[in-house]
Amino acid sequence: MDGIHDLGGKQGYGPIEVDEDETPFHHDWEAREWGIAQSARTPGITIDWWRHCRELIMPQDYLERPYFDSWAQTDFSTYIEAGWMTLQDLEKNGAESAGANMDDDPLPALSLEQVLQEDREHAFRFDADIDAEPAFAPGQAVITASHGHAGHTRLPQYARGRHGTIHACHGAHVFPDLSAQGKEVHQHCYSVVFSAAELWAEAAGSPDKVYLDLWESYLVAG
Amino acid sequence: MATRFDAAQVAHIHQQLHSHLPSESALRVKALETLLVDRGLVNPQTIDAWIEAYTEVIGPKRGAQIVARAWTDPDYHQRLLQDAPAAIDELGFLGKATAHLKVVENTAAVHNLVVCTLCSCYPFSILGVAPAWYKAAAYRSRAVRDPRGVLAEFGVDIDSKVEVRVWDSTAELRYLVLPQRPPGTEGMNAEELAKLVTRNSMIGTDRDLGKE
Repeated sequence: MDGIHDLGGKQGYGPIEVDEDETPFHHDWEAREWGIAQSARTPGITIDWWRHCRELIMPQDYLERPYFDSWAQTDFSTYIEAGWMTLQDLEKNGAESAGANMDDDPLPALSLEQVLQEDREHAFRFDADIDAEPAFAPGQAVITASHGHAGHTRLPQYARGRHGTIHACHGAHVFPDLSAQGKEVHQHCYSVVFSAAELWAEAAGSPDKVYLDLWESYLVAG
Repeated sequence: MATRFDAAQVAHIHQQLHSHLPSESALRVKALETLLVDRGLVNPQTIDAWIEAYTEVIGPKRGAQIVARAWTDPDYHQRLLQDAPAAIDELGFLGKATAHLKVVENTAAVHNLVVCTLCSCYPFSILGVAPAWYKAAAYRSRAVRDPRGVLAEFGVDIDSKVEVRVWDSTAELRYLVLPQRPPGTEGMNAEELAKLVTRNSMIGTDRDLGKE
């Protein structure tokens, strides 16, 4: 979707706050939200559906609310959509428990060692062998699609309708546009390199390059 | 009680959340945790453990160890460039968001910079929680368009002859920048070298290490 999240190349967002200290969390609530996001996922959820739910946040909230706040809002939306809770529950501000526990037994507390093991298990792979041969090979010229669509997609606006070159073939990866609809379909995915000058008029003569990882259906032969 | 992938409903939910959430971030997250705990969907001690994991164990020190090992062990350097997930697994660092890791190497002629313009993709299990600037609109919007200007804001001046390669993490691949080993460190071991490796150098917003 042509949403507020698609920020590459947009102008006017001001200087970068480079002097931030390197602690992972700057407020307790940020840390709590991090832990919640790791611990509570609705059945059947995909990373692409979660990303799409974040993209669907109203633009003013997306830009104004702090980062982990937007995670909390994304989580809320996935939990409500999946029927784990309702907007009415939220209006009660969690003060009153509307529903009984969904599990007969309370969830066990995981230890540090157990979550570290879970983190190792979260090295999820998204590739698979498919019958189709890759349509493109390294060195081949390609042109990206000119248009997106209303759903989740991973071809940013700034790289649409542009000429690039296949840098590498990654094999077939889960196609995000369908994964965001709960459908697992694998499609060849490529590292595609663009000259900065192809993307930006002001970069004429620049030696710089931009690399994107793009799926086959975003590309045609150039 | 499973995900239904109903985007129209989620758009409606966000409209409601715009006005119906508590007024402060801390209160919103508190409400979320309370609702989950009341329903038995999360154990608060598990949240504690995840926070501890990403505060005490998992963070950029892991990335620095990978870099220092690559600097001191040519075979490991080769394995890291060829198959980064397997190479970081040797150190026990394979995990969240690193199964499709790629390592991109800085040289005298090339500087690499990593961004995620569409969301905030980051190699969690080797660099920990991403810095706030990495997730903010200012960096995400400009890194692909004005990388040299971005680098200058971080105090990094890139010679006009050096090629800047920006890696926009649009798929499940994640990128780790392998910075150059600083000159004059020939006598240092991997442990000492790891201390010279900054988090930003592994994202690409730092370049010349070991300089004050």
